[in-house]
Amino acid sequence: VEIYLPVAELSMNVFRAAGPGRSGRSAGSGMFGVGGGFLATPMLIFVGIPPAVAVASQANQVVANSISSLQVQWRRGNVDLRMGLVLLAGRHARIVGRRLAVHLPEADRPDRFRHCGALCRDAVDHWPADDGRESQHLFQAPTQSRRPRGKLHTHYLVHRLPLKLRFYKSKLYISALLPIGLGFIIGVLSAILGVGGGFVLVPAMIYLLGMPTAVVIGTSNFQILFVAANVTFLQAATNGTVDVVLALLLILGGVVGAPIGARLAAKLPGVALRALMSLLILLVAAELLTELLRTPSSLYSLGAREVLP
Amino acid sequence: VRSLGLLACLAVLLGATGAWAQGPRLESAPSLLPAPSIGAPPDGAVPPSVPNEPTTPDLIMDLSLARVSITSAFQGESILLFGMFDPPGEIVVVVAGPPARETVMRKQRFMGIWLNTGRQAFDDVPAYYAIAASQPLQRLLARSAGGEILSLEDRLASLKPATPRDAAELARFRAGLVEVKRREGLYPAAIGQVTVQAGRLFRVDLPFPSRLPEGVYDIRVYLLREGKIVAAVSRPLPVGKVGFSAQLAGWSAHEGALYGVGAVLMALLVGWLGGAVMRRL
Repeated sequence: VEIYLPVAELSMNVFRAAGPGRSGRSAGSGMFGVGGGFLATPMLIFVGIPPAVAVASQANQVVANSISSLQVQWRRGNVDLRMGLVLLAGRHARIVGRRLAVHLPEADRPDRFRHCGALCRDAVDHWPADDGRESQHLFQAPTQSRRPRGKLHTHYLVHRLPLKLRFYKSKLYISALLPIGLGFIIGVLSAILGVGGGFVLVPAMIYLLGMPTAVVIGTSNFQILFVAANVTFLQAATNGTVDVVLALLLILGGVVGAPIGARLAAKLPGVALRALMSLLILLVAAELLTELLRTPSSLYSLGAREVLP
Repeated sequence: VRSLGLLACLAVLLGATGAWAQGPRLESAPSLLPAPSIGAPPDGAVPPSVPNEPTTPDLIMDLSLARVSITSAFQGESILLFGMFDPPGEIVVVVAGPPARETVMRKQRFMGIWLNTGRQAFDDVPAYYAIAASQPLQRLLARSAGGEILSLEDRLASLKPATPRDAAELARFRAGLVEVKRREGLYPAAIGQVTVQAGRLFRVDLPFPSRLPEGVYDIRVYLLREGKIVAAVSRPLPVGKVGFSAQLAGWSAHEGALYGVGAVLMALLVGWLGGAVMRRL
């Protein structure tokens, strides 16, 4: 069944359009517990969706994915709302970053660069599994065995900063300046590099703030929801590149894909899953890299058409 | 569609002969409208050497579809152009999409990776360009003087670059432009020849790909005798989104903020429902 995508301005088979969402999510949330965008976006570009529309519509899908995951996380009590909000507040200082980004030469960056950015973002943004199963080992603080009695974790200088706030879910009593600063730095980074910042945020929440991994996952999901919603809104408002028909197909594909992946995942041990996941990421990265290095089949491409008045 | 088109062809043929017999020409027929100003080449209307009268007895044409409607099920369209001419002569059909500024980007290897390093904008690039004739085109065009009918190459050679550059480089960018457009099916290299039946009835299929820019397309049919244009008719073909597609595209273009809010709400709702449903399964 062919359907015309009104913003991408081309017609495409329904299953072909939903495919990236399905495989992205079945491999992603279902199987490995990641968003799957790192697969979906390059796949969309590969099937011929204009890159700008692919990135924006995919952000729209991530909104749906993260609300689904958040439902689960919330019920398990893995979302530190207070931490999430404080981080978001810091993140909003990103406007400064956007000002900086204006001075960087952006126009001639190849699209693929941005996809590499998207890849890193998605790969790590969503890295910790939805339900956190077994991925704890990956990020567990190595100091745990030597921690002083009576304290949950080692205390550093940063714990002496003022404006202390209790984060119950995270079992932390730290200065609010820490998450705000973290949010700020990530905001600036994501504005300059065009990446989500999760690849900094997740390890930072675990190692710098000392949050429990399960809560990091839920809270990171909470973050992603807002970031993706923000990206979707801004893309729609400024560039008009969000194709809701495509996004809906991707979401529906994802809804179908998630349980397929989950069923597969149930049959495989966690180590095998993580190995598969890493392989997949490496494959996509290698593919993107060869795209950059290989002599392209056509040297020419067209920018946006401008109808002059 | 093809058989329908043929039927319509015959109907027009009969109607036309009937009209001839009775005297009055087909004034009311839509195919005999004067050349439209929209979608015309940049030099304006048809030059005076072309007898482009609305009631030319020598040449009439019509299309199997009056407009291209881009609906949710649009997959590209093939339109049959048909008509009749007073023999002898040859028929040339030129279809040009609405002009716009196009920017051609060229990749170059830079420190091992391929980057878009060069760009060149051209003004008045037709969104679509197709030309067909009842004889091999080169021969016809070589004989027809005046440069009214332009092959794709000639049409593009006249493009004005938005910024000056040396001729050799411009030619390379122009070739790049054709290459990309051809890949997208917008500059079809060969739309089939115009076929002529019974010496006076002509037809040709015009292919329009699914990735079709919107606007008013200009369709021109020329009648040539011994290399001279003796008659020409032209007709606008509107191409536009209709229905749901048009609504969405319109909101996306004009009500971006509202559309963005809607997109986010849709994702939240569907994502929530999807999550809830999946939990029960």
